[in-house]
Amino acid sequence: MMQINTSTLADLRFFKGLPEPHLKKFVENAMSAEFRAAEFIFHEGERANCFYVVLDGGVALVSRERAQLIETIGPGDLLGWSWLFPPYFWRFSAHAVLPVKAAVFHAAPLREACENDHDFGYELMKRVAEVVVERLQATPYQLPQKPDKI
Amino acid sequence: MEIKTTTLAAQPFLKGMSERQLEVLVGDATAAEFKKDELIFNEGSPANRFYLLISGKVALESTPDERYDARDPVLIETIGPGAVLGWSWLFPPYYWHFDARALTPVQAIFFYGTRLCEQCEHDHDLGYELMKRTADVVVGRLQATRRRLFEQGKNLLFPI
Repeated sequence: MMQINTSTLADLRFFKGLPEPHLKKFVENAMSAEFRAAEFIFHEGERANCFYVVLDGGVALVSRERAQLIETIGPGDLLGWSWLFPPYFWRFSAHAVLPVKAAVFHAAPLREACENDHDFGYELMKRVAEVVVERLQATPYQLPQKPDKI
Repeated sequence: MEIKTTTLAAQPFLKGMSERQLEVLVGDATAAEFKKDELIFNEGSPANRFYLLISGKVALESTPDERYDARDPVLIETIGPGAVLGWSWLFPPYYWHFDARALTPVQAIFFYGTRLCEQCEHDHDLGYELMKRTADVVVGRLQATRRRLFEQGKNLLFPI
């Protein structure tokens, strides 16, 4: 299994521009993980005690009750933010659509690091907020699109 | 209406901020009022501010672009007292992604976001508190939006 180190993370968009000590803090709480195609990474309703950054492959975020696709997540993307705020459970399920390599991060020590070190916390929260705002702005509203333009 | 640190301390979004942080925020805050039906900001214009709603209701609307058949504004969400209005001021490209319109007379606190961004960059204690609250609000908003679209039976991308 591959090793997660600061150079693995430094090139990824989510971590871009982070100083070395902050990257180290992420690495200290990271493991590598692999998933087979169609394997579930987490399930809706389970405790969200970690988050992922996809290194290779593709992940589908789906809603359990309707088996509907919410979004697909590819290399360099952040997967999961339910770990950041109470009540800390997954709102959706995620499964690999291709074989996936990912870095998995333990949530509790990183949340604690945010509270204890606001330089680190500012960077983490700013980056998560930015990703979430982007996803929110990319969310289509109620109207069906013209098929040829999707 | 004058905005004081006590006004800010009473806002749910700012709960737990220190007196010193509230004093910084007060320097960026002004009272704002809107008449019923008044446009607070419109999609595509530069985003350099945000609001905390004190009273009244605001509709967030989006006008569909050429990808859509219908071109009437679509209601995204209605927000009320205590809500945060706007986060496009935080990140490039700094323009509004939707219209905000007063549905009733609205009282709000206006924050000058551009200066606040700079203050956050220099003061990470303040930046952390503000970003943490913003991340919390936008995560909640995203999850609620997705949930609502599902309940309406819409596929967000395509059926699987």
